[in-house]
Amino acid sequence: MSIVTVQLGQCGNQIGFEVFDTLFSDSHSSQGLCSKRENEAYRASCKERFFNEEENGVPIARAVLVDMEPKVINQTLSKAAQSGRWKYGQHAYFCQKQGSGNNWAYGYSVHGPRHEESIMNLIQKEVEKCDSLSGFFIIMSMAGGTGSGIGAFVTQNLQDQYAHSLKMNQIIWPYGTGEVIVQNYNSILTLSHLYRSSDALLVHENDAVHKICAKLMNIKQISFSDINQVLAHQLGSVFQPVYCAEGSFHYRRNPLGDLMENLVPHPEFKMLGVRNIPQMSENSLAYSTFTWAGLLKHLRQMLISHAKMEEGIDWQVRPPLSGLPPLGKMPLNKELHFNTSIANLVILRGKDVQSADLEGFKDPALYTSWLHPIHALNVWKTQRAFSKYEKSASLVSNSQFLVKPLDMIVGKAWNMFASKAYLHQYTKFGIEEEDFLDSFTLLEQVVASYYNL
Amino acid sequence: MGRRRRLVDPAAEAGAGALPKVIAALSRSLPAGPSPEIFRRAKFDRPEAAPALWQLLFRLLSPRSADGASASLALEAQVCLVKSALRSQGYPRLVLAQLPEDGSRGSRELLLALSWLLARGPLPEQLLAQAHVQLGDEIPVCECEALASPGPRVPHVEAEGPVDIRCVQWLMGRLRFRWRCLIASQQEQCTLLSKLLRRLERENTGLEAALEWRRGELVFWRWMDTVLGACPPEAPAAATQPTFLPRIAERGLGRLELAARELRALQEELCEATGRRRAAWEARVGGQGRGPQWSSARQALQKAVEQELAALRWAWEQDRGPARPHGPHRLVRCEDEAPGGQHLRAAEVIQALRSQEACLEAALRRLQGQCRQELARLAGALPGLIWILPPRC
Repeated sequence: MSIVTVQLGQCGNQIGFEVFDTLFSDSHSSQGLCSKRENEAYRASCKERFFNEEENGVPIARAVLVDMEPKVINQTLSKAAQSGRWKYGQHAYFCQKQGSGNNWAYGYSVHGPRHEESIMNLIQKEVEKCDSLSGFFIIMSMAGGTGSGIGAFVTQNLQDQYAHSLKMNQIIWPYGTGEVIVQNYNSILTLSHLYRSSDALLVHENDAVHKICAKLMNIKQISFSDINQVLAHQLGSVFQPVYCAEGSFHYRRNPLGDLMENLVPHPEFKMLGVRNIPQMSENSLAYSTFTWAGLLKHLRQMLISHAKMEEGIDWQVRPPLSGLPPLGKMPLNKELHFNTSIANLVILRGKDVQSADLEGFKDPALYTSWLHPIHALNVWKTQRAFSKYEKSASLVSNSQFLVKPLDMIVGKAWNMFASKAYLHQYTKFGIEEEDFLDSFTLLEQVVASYYNL
Repeated sequence: MGRRRRLVDPAAEAGAGALPKVIAALSRSLPAGPSPEIFRRAKFDRPEAAPALWQLLFRLLSPRSADGASASLALEAQVCLVKSALRSQGYPRLVLAQLPEDGSRGSRELLLALSWLLARGPLPEQLLAQAHVQLGDEIPVCECEALASPGPRVPHVEAEGPVDIRCVQWLMGRLRFRWRCLIASQQEQCTLLSKLLRRLERENTGLEAALEWRRGELVFWRWMDTVLGACPPEAPAAATQPTFLPRIAERGLGRLELAARELRALQEELCEATGRRRAAWEARVGGQGRGPQWSSARQALQKAVEQELAALRWAWEQDRGPARPHGPHRLVRCEDEAPGGQHLRAAEVIQALRSQEACLEAALRRLQGQCRQELARLAGALPGLIWILPPRC
């Protein structure tokens, strides 16, 4: 089944390009550590999901590019075409001549409705090219103006028009010390709208990825391209084909459906974080070997100690003992050292993957009391290695990863709101104080639900 | 070269346009069929017609699975393959074997080879049958398959104590996702169905072309006579080579006799073995309990065994000649009552399916009975509780 990607704004388009490039390169890599037939099945599965096959042509990404400025879209289109290996559809983009000055309300209330028909037509065309639609993957930033406002609008439209299809939003959490003054307003508006119309919010924090580039990849001058490549690597390791079950011989057909069914069926808990291990520069990769036991031990500690990468993990954090009172009784603003999970999905790719032991993840102490590890933990294993990593493990987690950052953003936005700062930018274009209050209410509820696990 | 002599039927005399039409129909019913113009040029042995005819013969003679991969073979390779295939099938004219490997000459010879292939058997019909669209209207008929393999184990769910509402909401959400995925797969089914319809349309076009070809092929054969006439006279040695037609009839009959005898011997052996087994079983079971529990179980067992036997007997007692009704069968609507061949009446198939169904139902009832007994045992173990068993269905 196929996934249609919608790339929104500068952020979404740049990341989208890296994602498709990573997926394509990996599916054509010769270092898969598996048989030729296996490799072909992998490639075919990846192609069905993300690319359209044309007779005698280069594969075309199943994507729609949207931006209010032409610059980034043109760059993206030409970068893809230049590679000669894959490309975007010739007419699969929508852009305007001028930007919208980073105004969320303008993007949501003006650009969105004005260009609704054109954008939805493009998406419809892309959907028609699929034999079967698994769902939509929407890449956007959370705090920007255009991308976020339009993104929220488009997701809402997708909810109306394709009510039965699955929707996952890949959102980029802004830097803590961000460039845009109103980024917290934008963030809470985006999040609250998406929470209502999307099925899953897969979050990547700019700060975290930046640190990965600096500490693990040893990049001196970190550009957005580096950050996006790390991001694409993490996403690729989640969305490339995996086997159905132990000992089965074909790849899962519905990646979005399987993921969502296992991680986000509860309407209040839709926020997902991704961790990937190992992550390092190509030079170091040649000199490193890993064991599954080591990788999984680190991954588990990353999960329970809120670590964003495999360096600087706090090994002091331990799951609570069964004698202590349940964590649900903790007051709301208590420091959360231990990360309680609702559900986890562990994806293992590479050599000897069958021997990997996941007992550590099955400990009930890791999970909230109302879901047993049997239902809360899912493991997908594939022999075929990913992107030159002989062994790689990814974790998609519905846990308290994001509750503190979210709480912080809501707090800051509330402080600004209380003093009515910059509100006129929004009320000018139809986003009233009521809408802000609704957003605050919804997000406070989400924060409370996650704290009370 | 031996060829089928056809009676010249004056009624089949058609106008001047009949020949191109017939050749066009022939072309449509063959894969990679060239235009009638190629055929015309081939009669006059024009070199430009040769490559197309080499490729046509290659498509006709290469094995079934030669769709994507071997279509991209070079012309020389195709020429070699065609030559060796024709030789192995007994094509008598030596001129073809002497044609150059680059495929640049010999279009008249190729035309003769094509008509030789056409004359030997119903070639268009065979090719269409090979490329037949699989519609899923096939049903396997073979009683030797295991009737019921154990299905996937049902996950064991325990209800213990008060349940957190969030857990219930979680499960409801999972159900909703499954529902949405079901809708997506149904949409996929619709798309694939429409693709299937398009393929069927193409197949229908091919079938219509084959029919048209059959109706007018007389015109083609009379034309081929003129083509043969235009050829230079053959070397006498080649002309006296007898026609080689594959014949399996006589040898096949002997084999069938052997098979029938072996089957009869096997049947006798089986009867003996079952007789011995039954005697041994009766001796063991003879004095065992005859309570009400036993008799109902025995009745159920007897019924199940009878049904299985009936199914087996139905499969074995088919009197349809040497070919047993085995393997997949297609659903075809037929007006006439013509028997023979591999046909099976729908009624028989339905009966077989019914007996299978009965066996499976018996197995289900047996398992349900076991479940009930287990529940009753559990109920007995906890005296303070009232258990309401599910209704007998």
